[in-house]
Amino acid sequence: MIEFYSVTKRYPGGQAALDGVSFRLAAGEFVFLTGSSGAGKTTLLRLIYREELPSDGQILVNGRNVAELPLRKVPYLRRSIGVVFQDFRLIPRKTVFENVSYLPRILGASPRRQREVAFDALRQVGLAHRLSAFPRQLSGGEQQRVAVARALVNQPEILLADEPTGNLDPDLGLEILKLLVTIQRRGTTVFLATHDRQTIEHFGGRLLVLDRGRLIEDRRVEGREGPPEAVPGGAVGIAQGVAASRGVVASRGVVASRGTAG
Amino acid sequence: MNLGRALLYFLREASISLVRSWKASAVAVLTIAMSLLVGGFFVLATSNISRRVAEWSTQLRVAAYLTKDSEAAERAELERLMAGPDWVLRVETVSAAEALERFSASFPSLRDVLADTGVEAFAPSLEAVLAPQAAASRDLEGWLSEVRAHSSVAWVDDDREWLARLSAILRLVRSAGLAIGAGLLAAATLTIASVVRLTAYLYVEEIAVMRMVGATEFFIRGPFYVEGCLQGLLGAVFGYAGLQTVAWMMLRNDQSLWLPLIFEGLVTWRSAALLAGVGAAAGLLGAVLSLRRESLRVEGRE
Repeated sequence: MIEFYSVTKRYPGGQAALDGVSFRLAAGEFVFLTGSSGAGKTTLLRLIYREELPSDGQILVNGRNVAELPLRKVPYLRRSIGVVFQDFRLIPRKTVFENVSYLPRILGASPRRQREVAFDALRQVGLAHRLSAFPRQLSGGEQQRVAVARALVNQPEILLADEPTGNLDPDLGLEILKLLVTIQRRGTTVFLATHDRQTIEHFGGRLLVLDRGRLIEDRRVEGREGPPEAVPGGAVGIAQGVAASRGVVASRGVVASRGTAG
Repeated sequence: MNLGRALLYFLREASISLVRSWKASAVAVLTIAMSLLVGGFFVLATSNISRRVAEWSTQLRVAAYLTKDSEAAERAELERLMAGPDWVLRVETVSAAEALERFSASFPSLRDVLADTGVEAFAPSLEAVLAPQAAASRDLEGWLSEVRAHSSVAWVDDDREWLARLSAILRLVRSAGLAIGAGLLAAATLTIASVVRLTAYLYVEEIAVMRMVGATEFFIRGPFYVEGCLQGLLGAVFGYAGLQTVAWMMLRNDQSLWLPLIFEGLVTWRSAALLAGVGAAAGLLGAVLSLRRESLRVEGRE
């Protein structure tokens, strides 16, 4: 599903934001990505949806090397990935319905189909009654649920969440996390970046830890509610994952190809 | 996506954007309106006059103004001389009174000036209407010399001389007009480019969201291109309305032959469509220029 092979990201004139990171996420997994501020969590997520290009290494998403995707094909990659941000990133001048139905619209869905899928996504996050509200009329938790609905509307295989609870109080944050767990249980791979250890301890599950750009841990933690279970064919442990990843690289004869850094 | 549906979406977004940043849009629209008004006026006026000059060139007249003391026999002889060549279609006699009447019709504002002098200021003449092939005839110059040398002729007015002068002036005016119009159009295009770029900056976060969810460049840029076209079209509408207003104001109190000739053909679908086309093209060009260097990328990403 998502494979990182010795991925390094350097910004011009700065130190490496990511340094030789390798891991593999299987379909249907729920994985936490943690680390202190500046550890490289956001950079890692941005590399997955090709907002950034790696300086070194290789990133495969569904078997496609994202660094080698031509620019014109990047939108198609992004349509298979839902992204949720700490600051929601809703379009303020558009209603909840318009925010959520934007992707179906650009995919050419009929107005009726747009309504159906947007309504369905909003129903999943419990906001089907706020279709015509504008983001400013919603609470923070509601805005984040709209962002989740927007991420879900095209039924993505992967959902990336970058500190999705960072702007919410603990109760609302918990609500959003439960929503993400529910989404993962339906078969979507969820990759959640957070620096909130309590959240991780609450749910448990697979945990990747970054420290100054290096992946220093890849382990399972037990949670109070029990870890989100991977769907069949899902989770792969670190030893298996990294070893398998390296095996794939070796067998394909592809070794840490250099991306064109942006 | 269905192209028609995409265009409708672009149109809707472009209209919202025009209203949202209406002040900047108004500047762009007025600039293009002004350039089309000035450029349109020059093109229309010089085209109309050039067409008339071309018509006149094929209907040459030579007027032989008679001396005051010319006798009837001399006039008859002159008339025979003038009607001689086969490329002279006819010879008309114009009395001093008829000349005064013509002048008054052509220059009504000077009617008062002639109140004192009256018919005395005009000389009777014989006018030869020449066939189009006359201009190419080798005998024309010899015939003109004979007419000029005739004892009853005070002077000869040959259309070709003033038509040549008029054509030269027209070429100059048209070149100057086109240069001014082109300069203004370029300024208008750059204004639209700046306005579209400003609008794009207003929407930069929104554009980032669009990219993130997988919108293509066509879908992201489409509304801006349509916005440029709309600004150009609106400019053309105002420019056309301005041209009509100028024509109406100038013709309102003027009975001369020249002004109607200048504004001839103004109220036609062809001239309106031409201005609309130029306006829309300038707007589209402005939008394309403004977005050509990946200006919509956020912080230079990708």
